[in-house]
Amino acid sequence: MSTAMNFGSKAFKPRAPDKGSFPLDHLGECKGFKEKFMKCLRDNNHDNSLCRLQSKDYLECRMDNQLMAKEPMEKLGFGDLVDAPPGQADKDAEP
Amino acid sequence: MLLPLLLRPSLCSPHASAFLSRCDAARTLRSQTELFLRRTLPLRFQSRGTKSRGRKTREQDWKTRNKTVLTYVAAAGVGMIGLSYASVPLYRLYCQAAGLGGTAVAGHDTDLVETMKPVKERVLKVTFNADTHASMQWNFRPQQSEIFVVPGETALAFYRAKNPTDKPIIGISTYNVVPFEAGQYFNKIQCFCFEEQRLNPHEEVDMPVFFYIDPEFDDDPRMARVSTITLSYTFFEAKEGEKLPLPGYSYN
Repeated sequence: MSTAMNFGSKAFKPRAPDKGSFPLDHLGECKGFKEKFMKCLRDNNHDNSLCRLQSKDYLECRMDNQLMAKEPMEKLGFGDLVDAPPGQADKDAEP
Repeated sequence: MLLPLLLRPSLCSPHASAFLSRCDAARTLRSQTELFLRRTLPLRFQSRGTKSRGRKTREQDWKTRNKTVLTYVAAAGVGMIGLSYASVPLYRLYCQAAGLGGTAVAGHDTDLVETMKPVKERVLKVTFNADTHASMQWNFRPQQSEIFVVPGETALAFYRAKNPTDKPIIGISTYNVVPFEAGQYFNKIQCFCFEEQRLNPHEEVDMPVFFYIDPEFDDDPRMARVSTITLSYTFFEAKEGEKLPLPGYSYN
């Protein structure tokens, strides 16, 4: 932790998230997707690379339920998991 | 000086013929000394003039020397004041170049998420920690103890918070990344920090953190030995009507 005594070049400066804050999922609408993701993590020894499909599904659930701003998956780093053919995916990626 | 004068007359008188030259010499010496003495008197008067002239030039010398020294000292003082004013932007530039203290690294934008390529050889372990302030009554804990990610790949992690009390509590959180130097490469796309989160009585929610580690992490020689990054969140209770200054947010 950064304490007041730890002054100097090692001070940590928290930065705001790029896309802001997630609204809370009070109704638990995406809880199922979350459980799938957690199960995948537990099965694969907590390796994130193997569970990216589940995390993508969770974020899509959030977008569908107004819990996250809708954005193309490429902008969130899931460009390789998008089902659309490469030509269309490039068109989607263009701003 | 008077001693030779005393000696010479004794030499002079007994052996006149032999020491004639010496007597003559003594006489000339005596006359010379008298002249010298006479000369010293006016010289003393004269010397006051030269000495005063010397003193004057010496004083002038001192004055000019003092002036130059004072000028140098004043210039140094002004230089120090100017340096202290200029140090603020200079330090900021240096921090941006060296990336100290977790300040933003140049080229950090949202397009990076789209175009970055995961560095599959470098596997990093991200451990999670959850804390609450002493007066905060939420149960706050991570849902996974660790997760293995690679730089350049977006990752999702979950925390869980439960409000066990009978009244709604509003919490606000901040985070910390250890080691500090790795904090500049740790980019959060979306999380639950820095904004008020309200939990109703006996409510339990999942709080996700969507982040990635900058692929430049692998190129940094200072990070060569870093293989574990710890993300730590701390929840505080937010008072009603209190506005916290949020880092990086601008209130329009």
